[in-house]
Amino acid sequence: MTIADAAPGGTKGGIARDALKRAVERSQRRQAVTMLVLMAPSILFVAALFVLPIALFLFRSVDNGEIRHLLPQTVAAVPDWTAGELPGEPVYAALVEDLRTLKDTPGVGLLGRRLNYAVPGFRGLVTKTVRNLPATEVPSKKDALIAIDGKWAEPAILAVLRQQSGRLTDFYLLTALDLERTPADQLQRVSGEQAIFLDLYGRTLLISLGVTLLCLVIGFPVAAVMAAASPAVANLLLILVLVPFWTSLLVRSTAWVILLQNEGLVNKSLMALGLVDHPLPLVFNRTGVMVAMVHVLLPYMILPLYSVMKGISINHLRAAASLGASPPRVFRTVYLPLTMPGVAAGCTLVFILSVGFYVTPALVGGPRDQMIGYFIAYFTNSAVNWGLASALGALLLLLVALSYLVLGRLVGFDRLRVR
Amino acid sequence: MTLSRPILPFVVAISLATGTAQSQTLTIVNQGGAPADAQRQAVFEPFTKETGIKITVDTYNQELAKIRAQIETKNLIWDMASLNPINERAGCEEGLLEKIDWKSLIDEKPFRAIGGFGECGAPYLVSPGGLVYDAAKFPADTGPKDWADFWDTKKYSGKRGLLYQPDQVLEVALMADGVAPLDVPKVLAGPGGVDRAFRKLAEIKPFVKWWKSGDESMQLILTGEVDMVYAWQGRVNIANRSNKRDLKIVWPAGYVSALIYFGVMKGSPRKEEAIRLVKYQLAAEPQARYAELMGYPPANADAYPLLSPEKRADLPGEYASRGIMQAGSLYINFWLDNGDSIRQRFATFVAQ
Amino acid sequence: MPARGHATGFERAARVALRVFAGLVLLYLVLPVFVVVPLSFTAGQLLVFPLPGWSLQWYRDFFTNPLWTGALLNSLSIGLIAMTLATTLGTLAALGLHGSRSRWKPLIFGLLITPLAVPVVIVAVAIFYYFASLALVGTYLGLVLAHTVLALPFVVVTVSATLQGFDPNLARAAASLGAAPTRAFWTVTLPIIAPGIVSGALFAFVCSFDEIVVALFLASPQQRTLPRQIFSGVSENISPTITAAAVVLLVVSVSLMATMELLRRRGERFRKQVATA
Repeated sequence: MTIADAAPGGTKGGIARDALKRAVERSQRRQAVTMLVLMAPSILFVAALFVLPIALFLFRSVDNGEIRHLLPQTVAAVPDWTAGELPGEPVYAALVEDLRTLKDTPGVGLLGRRLNYAVPGFRGLVTKTVRNLPATEVPSKKDALIAIDGKWAEPAILAVLRQQSGRLTDFYLLTALDLERTPADQLQRVSGEQAIFLDLYGRTLLISLGVTLLCLVIGFPVAAVMAAASPAVANLLLILVLVPFWTSLLVRSTAWVILLQNEGLVNKSLMALGLVDHPLPLVFNRTGVMVAMVHVLLPYMILPLYSVMKGISINHLRAAASLGASPPRVFRTVYLPLTMPGVAAGCTLVFILSVGFYVTPALVGGPRDQMIGYFIAYFTNSAVNWGLASALGALLLLLVALSYLVLGRLVGFDRLRVR
Repeated sequence: MTLSRPILPFVVAISLATGTAQSQTLTIVNQGGAPADAQRQAVFEPFTKETGIKITVDTYNQELAKIRAQIETKNLIWDMASLNPINERAGCEEGLLEKIDWKSLIDEKPFRAIGGFGECGAPYLVSPGGLVYDAAKFPADTGPKDWADFWDTKKYSGKRGLLYQPDQVLEVALMADGVAPLDVPKVLAGPGGVDRAFRKLAEIKPFVKWWKSGDESMQLILTGEVDMVYAWQGRVNIANRSNKRDLKIVWPAGYVSALIYFGVMKGSPRKEEAIRLVKYQLAAEPQARYAELMGYPPANADAYPLLSPEKRADLPGEYASRGIMQAGSLYINFWLDNGDSIRQRFATFVAQ
Repeated sequence: MPARGHATGFERAARVALRVFAGLVLLYLVLPVFVVVPLSFTAGQLLVFPLPGWSLQWYRDFFTNPLWTGALLNSLSIGLIAMTLATTLGTLAALGLHGSRSRWKPLIFGLLITPLAVPVVIVAVAIFYYFASLALVGTYLGLVLAHTVLALPFVVVTVSATLQGFDPNLARAAASLGAAPTRAFWTVTLPIIAPGIVSGALFAFVCSFDEIVVALFLASPQQRTLPRQIFSGVSENISPTITAAAVVLLVVSVSLMATMELLRRRGERFRKQVATA
């Protein structure tokens, strides 16, 4: 590249130069294409098996396909209906036709279930109506339906049909935030007993912050000791940190369940030492979860911190001391700021990992300790509500993305240099 | 448990291309644990010996979504599933299970007492859950006599164990509040019934340890972590037998009986084999064998005379009027309609 | 930390306290990992100390019970295939990234490591929904593909790091001696980065071997992996066989990761030697 730019022109030299330039460019293009070919399989693989599923997952949280598929005519008739009033005859007629199509197919159960998410009892209404559908000749389907069950005139029931007939729906996302739409299209908080998700996010954040703080407070001194130790000792300590790091989290969680139970080693030792006279409840509660999670995540804090601390030259500290600073002052004004990149990396890593935890609290915790990941799994496997699971997951992803941005900005990721 | 033989890597490569197919193996899913072992011994192994049809057993926790995923994607892993009454109805309505006219294949009379057959499922197990305490802890006549005693933390200090699930537990709460067992479904489904049950539960909540699996319920009472527990009879029998303990169930206090149904997954290519297994499982002798091993009452009333006297003494028997059957339109419809919102409320309730 | 030679009594005490604290923390880190080992040899029926005696009964159960041997074989076969796939794809990608001058490079690198950044439970559920529509749930292929996606970033990062330490002059020297690019690659580059590739491969294998969350969603009884089986054991009924299974899991992961670490250090030393030669 430099050859082509360097030499000044003379015609004969120019032609040779141009030929050379073209040759170089050709070989560069070949090189670029080769590199692309090498990277392509992985890119396609990740795109097809990771990016695409995640995108579909996020879409599922707003996808209203079910209702549109099961009640096509009703959905088409809805736009002519304004909020607050009872719908006209066309909507009811369309509803009857759609239900007639669904009769004796699994669609009845599916529709019932989907609508039941919005209003408990809708399922029974659907099955009852399908069993007693008015004949085609009946003039007023509206009257017929309301005669079958008065619920068909109730604002709450009708609101569901009106609000959830678009291509997309905000129902799942609202539910994940403990919100709902009134028949008048206002947003309001869900009634007390049904509002669990904000609390769940709160709990997840609380546990994660607690774990992050504990890891920092415990990990910082350990990393410092490792960084200040002689190479041989440091190596040994590093191995002691790496071995649990390499151990499967399942094995570690299992070990904690065994260690913390009433007849476990921890309680036995405490009683043998005379510190307590009866076993403490240490597992299947918040204590167990914190102990196990800190254990799993501590290496993620220690390793980045150690890496950064190892690179801090002791001369900085000596210089500060020689200028008259007391040891605490040296620590606060010189050492601590230099460790910040490691602190940032460690805290980010630990926080984000802990927010998504599922297996450890499931094994070690009690019903009051389950985090959002558990409920995403619950709504996927047990309650048959993939829309809500996706909505909860989407919000979790948002939380993670925000954490990356905030924490990264807070301590400057660009200043991080890992040796 | 019989499992297909471990598959070696090169066979994996082949199976990747063609998909493993074992035509003479039925795959069943149930809730695992001790009852599954008993079922294998009492029913599956003799069945395989008699018919040559092998049986593979998987476990799940009544997660209907797993069945749904398989049916919707036509990616069947299971052929048959063990279902609680609510899931049997929901699965049937949603078209996840084959509609089978069991009445034409099996005589319904011995099953009338427990509510007969479902549109898709046939009941093979009655699983009563009741008030359980350790006779070693409460000798002679000092033990709890009814659910009011279970709730009386002044008379009986110490913790209680309850199932971490609203169905069965709300019913128990209503019984503790004085509702007769046979009236509980009506009261629960009626206005204010659920609120009443939750209010009653709130009284005892600080003393409750919640259990999720049958084994956990036994661990709680056997280790003394709780003084009384709501637990399932079969587990109690097995716990007594293998640990040589004396746990007692107080039937007169009132109990909740769940039926467990066998359902055939829609579109299963082994529907005929599945029907054969159901007919076998529901016949009197296999029912009696299963009941003996497991300690649950048999679903088939004709099996009762085949039980040993000791086994019959264990069963609720004469206390039938004290039992709430998880069956009937009112009850099932109530839980189908309100299950989701009640479960959410329950989760909040426990978490506070 | 205060420079040596100027420490006061307080500072010395503080340093001792610090070391004791660090020692306790390291004990806390290492103890649970090793506590499963003696428990797996218990002659009793419960997982409590003190052990009533030593016995190999749980290992015997593990190696004869088709439930466990099937799980072990599944884990090994799925791990090997995922490892091969991830290593191939990842090494090629790392080579491509290393040789590329495109401005998209950081973006592509970021893309390839996003599976690491997203919480595993979300990856597992998203892939579950996707595979459900493709009839891949409960198949070996599905599990292998999912594990490959999770392992790929590790290979890319490991091999990229190795390539970064690789001196390009070596390849240029080979070229200047007349070797065609492919020949130079096979005879000069590959042998030097081979330990890095092997490290990546080991990392990928361990990633799949230890993996539990995706397996919870995607595996049917036939594909049950070792961690999946242990999870069932812990949450349903704790039979001491799971400690034997856990020890097997432990031994495999730790020895492979230790090998990887040794390779990495050897590679570093070697590259330093080559650089200073």
